[in-house]
Amino acid sequence: MAGPEWVDEILLRGPDAQVCLHVDGPVDRAALRRMVAERRVRLEAAGLRAGGSLVLRLPPSLAYVANLLAGWRIGAQVALLDHRLTPFEVDAALARLAPQVVVAPGVVRGNPLRAFADVEETVTPHPGRPAATPHAVIQLSSGSTGPSKVIGRTAADLIAEVDRYTRIDGVPLPGERIVVLASMVHVLGLVGALLYGLHAGVRIRPPERLTGDGVLAAVAAETSPATVLGVPFHIGLLASVAEPPRLPQLKRMTTGGELVPAATATAFLDKYGVPLGNMWGMTEVGVIATDLFGAHRPALTPAPGLAVVERAGELLVSRPESPYVGLSDPTRWSDGWLRTRDAGVVDPATGLVTVKGRLDSQVSVGGLKVDLTEVEATLTALPGVEAAVVLHDDVITGYVQLATGASVDAVRAGLAERLAGYKRPRQLHVLAAMPRTTTGKLVRDRSVLRQAQREGR
Amino acid sequence: MRTPDRPVADGGAGVGGPAPGRDEVVAMLAGLDGRSARDVPEGIESMELAWLLHQVEQRYGARLELDEDQYGRMTTIDGAVDVLREAIGAA
Repeated sequence: MAGPEWVDEILLRGPDAQVCLHVDGPVDRAALRRMVAERRVRLEAAGLRAGGSLVLRLPPSLAYVANLLAGWRIGAQVALLDHRLTPFEVDAALARLAPQVVVAPGVVRGNPLRAFADVEETVTPHPGRPAATPHAVIQLSSGSTGPSKVIGRTAADLIAEVDRYTRIDGVPLPGERIVVLASMVHVLGLVGALLYGLHAGVRIRPPERLTGDGVLAAVAAETSPATVLGVPFHIGLLASVAEPPRLPQLKRMTTGGELVPAATATAFLDKYGVPLGNMWGMTEVGVIATDLFGAHRPALTPAPGLAVVERAGELLVSRPESPYVGLSDPTRWSDGWLRTRDAGVVDPATGLVTVKGRLDSQVSVGGLKVDLTEVEATLTALPGVEAAVVLHDDVITGYVQLATGASVDAVRAGLAERLAGYKRPRQLHVLAAMPRTTTGKLVRDRSVLRQAQREGR
Repeated sequence: MRTPDRPVADGGAGVGGPAPGRDEVVAMLAGLDGRSARDVPEGIESMELAWLLHQVEQRYGARLELDEDQYGRMTTIDGAVDVLREAIGAA
């Protein structure tokens, strides 16, 4: 197990004047080390100690980076909560995680198009417990059965992932830049941009605005080669720029989080003529397989040190220990293999992996994983809801049967209280009666539900 | 590329004609993933907002300078139409 000095040795080490981040101006390593030291003092003053537990509920920001590294440097376990969670979800998470200190946004300046927020954080002691496991980072997944799963990764596991990145052909090289569009609170942006970038001496530069022009302006702002790291939505955003300028610095765009439609990839390649890389990973493991030159689309090469096999149509990835905190679940992990819940195949001749899509009810909304059963359970539990089905029909779509006197506005308000915006149904259709099978089960066939909605109009 | 460096002042007349109406805003949002206009939800999420502003800025050849209150109101199509009318100007 790596001690807390891994933060200094793996992430913060480097020449004082080396600019490692660019957020409203350059941040060099000396400045970042100062920020981390200042946060360390604040967190320790709030009672955080080695082996303690910290929750960060911050949007991507310098405050997030500094508190995360400070928490780790103290030797504490840091749980990351998405800043878009509702107070209801945050309360549930705090009850579950029982942290000793919580860092939350006090003042947030700027607008929602900023990739990095300007945050003044609050640091508050919380009546919790020390860390119960040796994990350095804790993340909650949208749960398919009951409450969300708690995923833990040790410092050694994070370091191993950073090392994997250094051995993948096509990642940004020392002296280059990552224009990061993916959230650094989730694994792709966290390890693929922040931790790898700090380790390798790759400058991390979130754009000032997450529009097409904003992203291109961030690429154009410096002469060093730049890799744009995002999710498939961002490919479409850049492909829609009418007349992009010539950008010799643009080296590659790489995305993860979900499958990239072929038409989207073609539109991007026609416009920019640089490789469009593809990555597959998950919160439990980090990066699993890549195709950073777009040479095998949609197939991917397993990352160095990882093995991927297919069993009964499902992809499994090697992982020495279960990533789940609490009781082990043999249906998710056993004997060194993690079931990814992704359907796929492994080519026996080349070892290339092709991911075919989810085997469960998890969908990706802008790169964030949402389990539809969580959404449906929340909707069904609301007062006034007699029955509900939630499915993914381009967007998360809910069909609901209301009790007499209940209003759809009240249902929407209830959802807004209990679920973060990205998890909520974008379409909510009220049906007089939910279609049911002859045995009384709710029908989930989208064509039947659409038909019932059309007939009810 | 059209330069995005000319801010459009609040209430000022845009260079690309009057502000987009509801139908045009819906059409821009539908263009995000090719869905039909009738399937575009009323709510606008953060990525859709980025997409919509990008489309509007491309069309008007200017960067929209919105304040926090205006961003806060662009969470629905009606709200976005109102804000764009304020920022770009009515016909």
